Amino acid sequence: MIDAVRLQTEDFSLDAEVATLRAGSKRIGGISTFLGCARDFSGEREVHEIAFDAYHGMALAELTRIRDEAIARFSLIDARIVHRLGTVRAGENIVLIVVGAEHRAPAFDACRWLIDELKARAPIWKKEVSPQGESWVTPHP
Amino acid sequence: MINVLFFGPVAERAGVRQISLNFREGLRWQDVRDTLRVRHPEAFEIVSIVAVNGQRVGEQDASLLADGAEVVFMSAFSGG
Repeated sequence: MIDAVRLQTEDFSLDAEVATLRAGSKRIGGISTFLGCARDFSGEREVHEIAFDAYHGMALAELTRIRDEAIARFSLIDARIVHRLGTVRAGENIVLIVVGAEHRAPAFDACRWLIDELKARAPIWKKEVSPQGESWVTPHP
Repeated sequence: MINVLFFGPVAERAGVRQISLNFREGLRWQDVRDTLRVRHPEAFEIVSIVAVNGQRVGEQDASLLADGAEVVFMSAFSGG
C-alpha cells in the first residue's frame, strides 16, 4: 500500500490516488480533490521552474497530523496528501489532496481546509526560477 | 553536540544548511539563536519559526536542550 501522506521528488498521478482512495471503502459518496500546479508566471515575471526545500521529518509529521485532524473534524472516510520536492517545471504538478466522505459538503470543506492548513503549517519553502533570477516566495493567502 | 539546521531562504542567506555547536548544561534554544545570530545576521532577519526536535517552540519556552538536540530556525512557510 502506498502511503497516504508523501513527500516525493517524482510526479504523482491524480487518477492513481483517487483509485487508491476509492478502493478503501464503498461508503464513499463524494470525493473532492485539490491539485496545485506550477504557474509559468509570477507578477510580471516568467517562471520556468520552482525549487522546493523542506524540513522533511517535521513536514511529513505535520502533514500526517493535518490529515488525522481533517478525518476527525470532517468525519472523512479517507484522505491523501502528496507534495513534491526538488525542482518542478512550469505546468507540472506540485501538490495533491484527495478526500473521500459520505457526502459532498464535508468533502469540499475538508479539501479547502487541508490545503490551507498545509500552507500554514508544513515547513516547506519554494523558490521561483525565472530568466531574471531566482526568488524565494513569501507566503500569501 | 547541538545540531542546528537551516532550510530554504534561511539556508541561502546563511550560506550553510547545518551547524554543530558544542553542548553545555543549561543551554536553551534562545542561547543557540543568540550565538548564531551574530554570525549570520541576514539569515536571522527572516527567522520567524523555531523548532526543537521537530516541535515548534515559542519565545517563552524555557526548556533546556539535551545533548544531541536538533534546533531549526525557519522563515515563514510557502509550500503548496
